[in-house]
This record gives sequence, C-alpha cells and structure tokens, in this order.
Amino acid sequence: MEQEKEFTSQESLALITKMINKTRRDYLDSGLSALLWGSVITICSLATFVNYKLNWRVLDYIWFLTIAAVVPQIIIAIREGKNRKHRAYEDDLMGGIWISFGISVFLLSYILSVYNVSEQAPLYLMLYGVPTFATGYARRFKPMLIGGVACWVLAIVSHYTPYPYSMLCIAVAAQVAWFIPGLIIRKCYLKAKEQHV
Amino acid sequence: MFKDLNPILHSQLRLAVVSILISVKEAEFTYLREKTDATAGNLSVQINKLKEAGYIDVSKSFKDNYPQTICRITPLGVQAFEEYVRDLQTYLNIKK
Repeated sequence: MEQEKEFTSQESLALITKMINKTRRDYLDSGLSALLWGSVITICSLATFVNYKLNWRVLDYIWFLTIAAVVPQIIIAIREGKNRKHRAYEDDLMGGIWISFGISVFLLSYILSVYNVSEQAPLYLMLYGVPTFATGYARRFKPMLIGGVACWVLAIVSHYTPYPYSMLCIAVAAQVAWFIPGLIIRKCYLKAKEQHV
Repeated sequence: MFKDLNPILHSQLRLAVVSILISVKEAEFTYLREKTDATAGNLSVQINKLKEAGYIDVSKSFKDNYPQTICRITPLGVQAFEEYVRDLQTYLNIKK
C-alpha cells in the first residue's frame, strides 16, 4: 500500500469497508476446542448408551473423561492465545461465557448427583444451548446459532425420551452444537492460515 | 476538493490502519502489516504519525524473545474516525 496516494471519497469508503471486512473474516479460534468437546461429549454419551446393554463397570466412569479433557483445553487456549495477533472486542465476553458455562456444568453435575435426579439430559442440554447460542449470536456464526437452538429442541425431545435413549439426544447435540461447527471453523482457519503463509 | 477532510486520516495506509483498529480491541504490528500489505518501514512511519496525533496507542514488549508492538485506537482516534466518515458521507451526499 502506497504512502500518500491521492484518493477520492468513494475510494476512502471502499478502503474502510475492505479493512473492516478483512478483520471480520478472520477466524480467531482454531476450532480445536469445539472439536475436542464435541468429540468428548459424543463419546461419553454414546458409551453410556451402549453400556446400558453391556453393563461394563469401567464405562460407568466414562464421564470423568470430561475432567481429563480440561487439560488439552487449557493447552489449546494457551496456544491460541500465543498465536493470536489481534484481539476482538468480544473475546473477553466469550471467554467469560464459556468459563461460567464450565463452572455451571460441574456444579449441575454435583447437585444432580447429590439429589439423585434420574432425568438429567434435559437440564444438561438446556445448559449446553446457552454458550453455544451466545457464541453464534456474538460472532454471527450461523452453525453455532443453529447448534444452540438444536440443544434446546433436544432438551424438550430428551424430556420425552426414556433413558438410555436420552443419551443419544446428548450425542446429537454435541455433534450439531460443537463438532460440526468446529469442523467448519477449523476448515476456515486452516484456509486463512494457508493464505497468510 | 478534500481540504476539509482530516489530513491525518486521509492517507491510504493511515486510514487502513485506523479502519482495522476501529474493528478490533488491539492488533500486533505484524497483523497490521499482513492486512495492509505495507512494508514494515512505511507502516512504522504511518503508525508513528497516528501516535503523534494521539489517535492510537502503541505499546512495545517482548513475546518469546521477539519484540512485539501492539496498537490500539484511542477515544480521540475513534472520534476522529467518526468525524472523517461523517465528512465523507457529506461529500457523497449520503443521508443517514
């Protein structure tokens, strides 16, 4: 770009629009977090569903995988932060929403285990929809908007679905809300990265 | 024709930098260079001009033993940008 080239008002406006659009098209996330949680929740819910028939003792503890997944999540977050060359206004907001979601999920797990609630899927699905929809809304990212709504629809469906079939609703929600949007983000991120190399 | 337009902003590279910084919270020098396709030397000069005008804040630090320059738009920069866009709209007879 030249230093002091004369340009018209139309060109000025076109330049402003072009630059704003360039920053909008940037994918800040690598998509790995969405892929990680989409995979982990799908594996856990499908394993729980299958275990209803198999009755393997080891699979009773499959949901502890969500605690173990916090470690790679932290590594992903640190790496993404290091590679980030700019920060968007909504970054802190998004971070706050997902951290509060994580805390709420663990608190819900604890409360449900204390009160021995049998029908847990609708409550989790309702909660899954909140940060997913909020992210889709803030980033104008349709797949996550759809994912958030899908979680709430599946929360209703799971209410009328007996256990262990309600676990399939969780698996579908994890795919629609996180795994598929994660794949889309990853593809866009890698494409953008390729263009900058 | 453009004598009333803010001369600090009415420059391709400076306007490009401010347009990027208005859309993000903060950006590294390398990011600005990537987006504007400018040379490091030219970009550095224009960033200094914007800094001298009080339109942007520039902070320098180290990241993995490499120097890192982070730019942020200031409230004065936001105000100047908004005025510049309003002036442009007047020229183009765009009514809100």
